[in-house]
Amino acid sequence: MKRKIRSSARALLAGALALLCWLAPTLAAAQEFQKVSGAVREELPAGRFVAAAYGFIWIAVLLYVVSIARGLGRVRKDLGDLKSKLDRAGPRP
Amino acid sequence: MRSLGTAFVATAIAVAVGFLIVPTLIVGAPLEPVMGLVQKIFYFHVPCATMLFLSTFVCAGGSVAYLFRGSERGDRLAASAGELAVLFGLCTLVTGPLWGRKAWGVWWQWDARLTSALLLELIMIAYLLARRYGGPAGRKLSAALALFAAIDVPLVYKSVDIWRTVHPKTTVVPTLDPRMRPAFWSAFLLMLLVWSLLLALRVRLEAARAELAALELDAEDILEAAS
Repeated sequence: MKRKIRSSARALLAGALALLCWLAPTLAAAQEFQKVSGAVREELPAGRFVAAAYGFIWIAVLLYVVSIARGLGRVRKDLGDLKSKLDRAGPRP
Repeated sequence: MRSLGTAFVATAIAVAVGFLIVPTLIVGAPLEPVMGLVQKIFYFHVPCATMLFLSTFVCAGGSVAYLFRGSERGDRLAASAGELAVLFGLCTLVTGPLWGRKAWGVWWQWDARLTSALLLELIMIAYLLARRYGGPAGRKLSAALALFAAIDVPLVYKSVDIWRTVHPKTTVVPTLDPRMRPAFWSAFLLMLLVWSLLLALRVRLEAARAELAALELDAEDILEAAS
């Protein structure tokens, strides 16, 4: 049993080494720079990035102002409700 | 309430000025020779980052007043500044990658400046979460977090000088081309004005909430006595 395992391990190792030898030139080639003619250069539209950045800032600030205004409106309404409830309950002790 | 209305009008005017005058100055500023048009994000990216630092320091100052003197006003100021830190931090972390994608070719780099700024934003988000969901000890826990955030601010600022990063160094603003300065400083002043008004409004909201909470406690006693 042990012998069988040893021989299969040896066969596997030999196979792996053979594969590595076969792939070696390809791997080495992948490390080299190659000249490509007629490649399309990536051109990103700067205007869109600037517009997105400025738009994000002002929209975020405006949304925050709206959220504060809504919060204040809610608190003011709750205060009004509470005061009218207290008025209905009669004079304070 | 009248002064509140005035503050809202002032905020609206400041935003209107931001939309009209400052972009005109920014458009008129010369193009940066290497980065070109995308460099113009700088005029609001840097003020946003500065407001993040300022908000964090104000939040920490209010937290110190609350922790060591039990100041409720300090706590309200800290809560308001904490929210502003998250808001301006978000603006910084969104505009930065938009600039970086064009200038560096990548949206994000795990370098010292970007990582420490993200960490600061996360601490401030943790501050708000601890405050909201931390239960009775939440306010004290969040105040302690604000102190850690304040310690992170100098680290974020100096990170570009200490470590090698892709981010521009702190010398960018002092050595700015004189023709770019009016656009930058007007944008900076505008952002500072907007920040001050937002802080004033937010503190007012926090004060109104505290007033409501106190009145609710009184009302319970009064209504119980009346029934």
